[in-house]
Amino acid sequence: MNVGLNLVLAASAALFAVGAFAVVARRSAVLMLIGTQFMFMAGSIAFVAFARFSIGAVNATAGAAVAIFAGAIAVAELALGLAMASLIYREHRSLAVDTDRG
Amino acid sequence: MPLIGALPQPITSAPLVILISAVLVLMVASALASVFLRSAVFATGAFAATMVLIALLYLAIAPFLLFAVQLLVFTTVSAALLVGVLRRTTGVDSTQEPFSREWIVGAAVAAAVLALLVVIVATTSWPVRATVNAGAGFGSTLANTYVVGLAVLVVILACAALGGGLLLAAPTTARPRGR
Repeated sequence: MNVGLNLVLAASAALFAVGAFAVVARRSAVLMLIGTQFMFMAGSIAFVAFARFSIGAVNATAGAAVAIFAGAIAVAELALGLAMASLIYREHRSLAVDTDRG
Repeated sequence: MPLIGALPQPITSAPLVILISAVLVLMVASALASVFLRSAVFATGAFAATMVLIALLYLAIAPFLLFAVQLLVFTTVSAALLVGVLRRTTGVDSTQEPFSREWIVGAAVAAAVLALLVVIVATTSWPVRATVNAGAGFGSTLANTYVVGLAVLVVILACAALGGGLLLAAPTTARPRGR
């Protein structure tokens, strides 16, 4: 029994699918932003896994560097998204993103 | 491009295989929980747990710096932002006292997880450090090879902080009556 690239990539794909489901199916802005965070993290995990198990023989630190950049971008996106969610709440007293829909 | 050194091998150490498998399963399960839980507070807690589990995965297969950044920066900042918005919108702390039973249980769970992480990191003979083959020069590589990327990242984070602050400081539009 061992852990290789396939297992980590499968978990990464599952995490990405959960995030995509949250973005598509949930109405709450907070849950949608959590879903985008999961999608960012899934991409980061895939980069790190490729660096560790596959192409890391060429540049072992590239995957981790991309993961750090992607995580920081995800945090910046979360900050802006939550500020917009807070504005939506001020206007409509709800965190649902489709409060104006008929 | 010629390969430098030997190709990386799959992880075969039994404790590490068990740890990574458990972390991956729990990570997907807590992500599912954060999406399907109805309470925003519990969903945020499950999200934080997912981020901690990703940090544990990084501890096993990535340089130590990535684990530290994921745990200390990304997890705490994301969770703090979410809790801050929940406090502003749904009034999280209006229904629970600061030292209620739920808060004490949550603090105990967080302390237990932190103690577990400290034990894992402090145990140098455990196979975690044996698999971290690129951790030594990662910090210097990040600061030298990717210095432009780091500079761009600082600009992006500053812009995000400024934009978030401006959005929160914007005046609320007056709503028409009767809506």
